[in-house]
Amino acid sequence: MIAENTQTQMRKGILEYCILSIISKGEIYASDIIAELKRAQLLVVEGTLYPLLTRLKNNGLLSYNWKESTSGPPRKYYQITPEGLEVLHKLDNTWKELVYAVETSLQGRNESKN
Amino acid sequence: MNKTIIININSIVFHIEEEAYETLRSYMIDIKKHFGKSSDSQEILQDIENRIAEMFSEKIQVGRKEVISLDDVNHVISQMGKVSDFEDEAEEETSTDQAGFEESTQSQEPPISVVDKKLMRNPDDKIFGGVCSGLGAYFNMDTKWMRLIFICFFLFGGSGIMLYIILWIVMPLAVSRADKMAMKGESPTLQNFKKSFEEEIQGLNPHFSKAKSEIARGTSAVGSGISKLGRVFLRFIAFIILIVCALTIFGLAIACVGFITGVLGYQREMVFPGTEFLNTPQAIVALIAGTLAIAIPFLALLQLMLRVLFKTQPLNNYLSLGLWATWISSIIAVIFFCFIGAQEFKESSTIKVEKPLTAQKVYYIAEKDIRLIEASEVDKNGKKFQIELKGKNLEFLLRSDINISFQSIDSLAKPYIQYNYFARGKSYQAATTNAAEIYYLASQRDDKIVFDSHFSVGPNKKYRDESVSAILYLPQGSRVVIDKSIEYKLRNLSFWDCQRAYDSDEDIKSTEWIMGRTGLQCTPKFQPIVKKSEENKAVEDLVKQAEKHAKDAEEHARKIQKEAKAMAERIEVSVKESSTN
Repeated sequence: MIAENTQTQMRKGILEYCILSIISKGEIYASDIIAELKRAQLLVVEGTLYPLLTRLKNNGLLSYNWKESTSGPPRKYYQITPEGLEVLHKLDNTWKELVYAVETSLQGRNESKN
Repeated sequence: MNKTIIININSIVFHIEEEAYETLRSYMIDIKKHFGKSSDSQEILQDIENRIAEMFSEKIQVGRKEVISLDDVNHVISQMGKVSDFEDEAEEETSTDQAGFEESTQSQEPPISVVDKKLMRNPDDKIFGGVCSGLGAYFNMDTKWMRLIFICFFLFGGSGIMLYIILWIVMPLAVSRADKMAMKGESPTLQNFKKSFEEEIQGLNPHFSKAKSEIARGTSAVGSGISKLGRVFLRFIAFIILIVCALTIFGLAIACVGFITGVLGYQREMVFPGTEFLNTPQAIVALIAGTLAIAIPFLALLQLMLRVLFKTQPLNNYLSLGLWATWISSIIAVIFFCFIGAQEFKESSTIKVEKPLTAQKVYYIAEKDIRLIEASEVDKNGKKFQIELKGKNLEFLLRSDINISFQSIDSLAKPYIQYNYFARGKSYQAATTNAAEIYYLASQRDDKIVFDSHFSVGPNKKYRDESVSAILYLPQGSRVVIDKSIEYKLRNLSFWDCQRAYDSDEDIKSTEWIMGRTGLQCTPKFQPIVKKSEENKAVEDLVKQAEKHAKDAEEHARKIQKEAKAMAERIEVSVKESSTN
């Protein structure tokens, strides 16, 4: 149980970071974000994404435009804001630090427990 | 053949099978309940609906498949994720009370948190309205203990009946399964729905099973149990405050209405002190302002307790701002009316009137209580009296601030009474007008001077500190008999001291005075009738006689002495004459 809990905590921590970096690549539609995340095996269900996007948008890290779609209702296309980029750069550094920290602490271990 | 339902999501129309619709509907309700707590819920729900609409439109193939089936809905749901899959996210969203949440997710139990409980009446376990079982579920107490508490309330003054009825009205009935779960503090997730349904199928007593899981939890986490107990206790206190607030506001409203009818003159048992200083519209506004000034803080407290207990939404900004504004302005209004009231007393005026009295040897001073009417004059309802006073409200018209004093004048001057009519007002002019409205004169009939017990001011007049002082100017040597009835109106004169001077056990009904140079002197007329024995009297007479004799003798002796002295002088003069010759 504890392992599971830690897992979700870890996932949650990097999820926002990943979303920000996916969006930083250019204007993107929510379901494409989901596809990317699924490819990265990060997200299980779509429902989790919408609250996250809304929060990032409300914090001023993202913005969106409505675009007509051929197959259905108009779609929201997300893009990153300058502040979002700034945050992303900070997170980049943090991530590097984290990778270093984890690798250092894992050194000398043959198998990882998971 | 399947029945289809037409729905629209984000203004796109879909045909959907009935079964699929039911599933989708309960899913959307779940989602709404889940995200309902967060502030961005509207936007999130919009996004999700949008996405569902899109996924549906991808499924539709014109001509081949035009109806959304249950499979499609299930597929969409699995892609979007069930509410239980969002749970972790919610933890982060609402970071309050995280510790309790994590604990419950760890143990994989349905989260039983007191915070989410709703106070509702339980229709499954009821005697009258299910109030007790609802309260029991709310405070985590066995229903029978709750009932016992209420029975105690019933026994002590019957206050429990009132409380029960109020709660019956206030507490909503838990009709749906979601309501019942909210009542027991279980979050309305799909698993819990299933659990609740299974419980029902098995016919298990939900309280019992909950108690069991509670005990299991309690042993593992005593600390959290204690804090939970504290929370339950706090909520109990909040609940009491809530009821007190509600009753206070109720009482204030009744009092306000009562006082307003008092001001309007419909009744006079309930008149708020001070409102008689103001005119009627002012008094009504002042009363309402005063009530609001007191009631609004209670209202705020009530709302706060409602929020704490029932998780009701906070008041919207306009409403709370409006309440603030009303409160401040009613306080200002109260201060304003106090000021207005005080203004009415700023200036004072006294009118002096002198009326002659016919000279008498003895003046009998007495009071007539004008409120007393001979029984023969009036029927039971006092109607005649009301008619005499032109139907006006007596209590507002009659004042009794009267005092009477006595002054001496030359024994040859004519006696008279001086009346001083006093009143206050906004200006000297108003004060004088108010003083002029006072009607009060004593009446003299031969040697009797009668003062009325009250004086009257004009109809519909408000209290303006009116008073009357009457000064009787009487020639020196006049005798005055003062009746006990007027005792309390006398100024600078002690009726009681004079009464004592009579030296009698009997109740003295009147005292006698005489006008001296400086004022009235007490002259007890009725000497005490002391019963003396004949012997004593005789002895006293003898003593008196002897005294008289002694006095006579003394006088006689003095006379002789004087004569002897004169004679001696005469002899001396004649001797001198003879010697010179």
